Amino acid sequence: MNVVIMGCGRVGAQLAALLDEGGHKVAVLDTEPYSFRRLPSSFNGTALLGDGTDEDSLKKVGIEEADAFVAVTQGDNRNVMAAQIAKHVFNVPKVVCRIYDPLREELYHTLGLETISPTTIGAQMLRDKVIG
Amino acid sequence: MIYSKLLVPVRGRKVDDDIVKSACVLARRAKGVVYIVHVIQVSRTLPLDAEVTPETRSGEDMLANAEKIADVMDCQAETEILQAREVGPAIVDEAVERGVDMIIMGLDYKKRFGEFDMGDTVPYVLRNAPCRVLLWRGPMEGEEE
Amino acid sequence: MYIIVVGGGKVGYYLTLALLGEGHEVLVLEKDAKRCELIAEQLGSVCVRGDGCEARTLADVGTERADMFIAVTDEDEDNLVACQVAKHKFKVPRTIARINNPKNEALFKKLGIDVTVSSTNLILEHIEEEVPTHPLVHLLTLRGGALEIVEVRIPSNSSVVGKRMKEIVFPPESVICLMIGGRGAQVPTGDTILEAEAQVIAVTRPEAEGALRAALTE
Repeated sequence: MNVVIMGCGRVGAQLAALLDEGGHKVAVLDTEPYSFRRLPSSFNGTALLGDGTDEDSLKKVGIEEADAFVAVTQGDNRNVMAAQIAKHVFNVPKVVCRIYDPLREELYHTLGLETISPTTIGAQMLRDKVIG
Repeated sequence: MIYSKLLVPVRGRKVDDDIVKSACVLARRAKGVVYIVHVIQVSRTLPLDAEVTPETRSGEDMLANAEKIADVMDCQAETEILQAREVGPAIVDEAVERGVDMIIMGLDYKKRFGEFDMGDTVPYVLRNAPCRVLLWRGPMEGEEE
Repeated sequence: MYIIVVGGGKVGYYLTLALLGEGHEVLVLEKDAKRCELIAEQLGSVCVRGDGCEARTLADVGTERADMFIAVTDEDEDNLVACQVAKHKFKVPRTIARINNPKNEALFKKLGIDVTVSSTNLILEHIEEEVPTHPLVHLLTLRGGALEIVEVRIPSNSSVVGKRMKEIVFPPESVICLMIGGRGAQVPTGDTILEAEAQVIAVTRPEAEGALRAALTE
C-alpha cells in the first residue's frame, strides 16, 4: 500500500516504521526537520519537509497516488483540515485522522471522516486497567 | 464623612443583611438614599432581555427582604433588578449612572480548589468603580455568631 | 442579529466594533486572557475567553441562536474547524471564514463555508487598482477568459503621446473603447490624439495583453 503520513511525532514515526517494515511504501510529511530524527535508521520510505494543509506539499509527497492518508500532527484542526483535503480534493480512498478533543472527534466522525480520539481510547483503557 | 447615595448589590447571600444595614446607617446620617440592586446574569444562550422568571422571582424576594431592613432602620431605599451578561460591569455602570458616593460589596468567605477565592465580581468592582468601595467579608465558617 | 466572532486580534476587534456600531448583538471568543481583558475594557461585556472550535464553549455562548458566525483568527485551519462546528453542530445559517492563504479559498467553499474573505487577495486587488507603476489593470474577464477588459494609463514618456489613434499599431483583436483624459471620457476615433496620463479602456485577448501594454506605454 501507498501511505502518506502527516506529522512525524512519536505516533507518526512509529506508524511509519511499522508500515515500512510491513513492506508498504511510506511517505512522511512534517514542518520541522528535527522531527525526522524519530524515524529509525532502517526506514526505507520518504521523509519530506512540508505542510500537510497545503495542496502543493501534499502533491509533492505523492498524495495523488496514495491509497491511504493519516493525519497525526499535534493540532486537531490541522489534522481535520488536511484529512478533508485528502478526502475531498484528492479522493484518497482511506483517510484516518487523529482528533484529541472527543467532542470534535464525534462531530467529524458524523461528517464522514474516519477519526480516532486518543483521549477517549486512553481514558477507557486506563479505566479498564484500574477496574479490571 | 457624609455619604448620601450608596449602592448595595445583593445576591441572596448571608452577608446581604449586614451590608444593607451598614448602608442604611451611613445613609441615614446624611438623610440620603440607598440603592439596592440585584443583577441577574443572563446566559449567552438567551437574549439579554429574555424573561428569566425564576431568577426574577428570587431577585424580587431578595430586594423585598432588603427593603424591609431599610424600612425598619427608617432609611430611604430604592430597589431595582438588572439583567446583564457580567455582574461586575453592571454594578460599575449602575454606580456611574446614579452618581453614588459609595458601593458596599458583600463577600462570603469561600474556598475554591482549596484556596480562598473572591470570584470575579469583587475584584472587577474594586478595580473599576470610580467611587469608594467598601468590602464586607463575611466570617469564616465556624466563626458565625 | 446575534453575531459570534472567533478571534479577538486586530481584525476581530475592529470587526466587533463595527458590528456593535450597527446595533448588532456581538460576542467575541478569544483564547488569550490578556486580549480578552483589553476587549472587555474597550467594548464592554462582549468577550468570552475560550476556544471557538470547542463545541462546549460554543454551546455556552448560545451559538444555537446565532444568526451569523465569523472566524477571523490567524490560522486557516482554526477558522475552518470553527465554522464547520458552528454550521454542522449548531446549524448557524451563515458562516464566514477569514482566509490567510488565498489557496484555501476553493477548499473552504467545497467544505461548506458560506463566505470566505481573503485579506491577501483584497490587498492584491487594491494594489492592482491603486499603484500607478502598474500600467495595466484587469477590470473584467469576459466569457470564460477568452476576452478581457483592461485599463492602461499612458505614461508621459510614452512614444504614443500626441499621436493619432490610427497611427498606432495595436495587436489583433484589441480595441480601444474609451479614453479618459483632460477633456473627460471620449469614445476614440482614428483621429483622436492620445494624451499623456490618460486612462485607456480596451478590450483584448489575454495573450495580447503584453503587446497592447507595449504599444501604449513604450
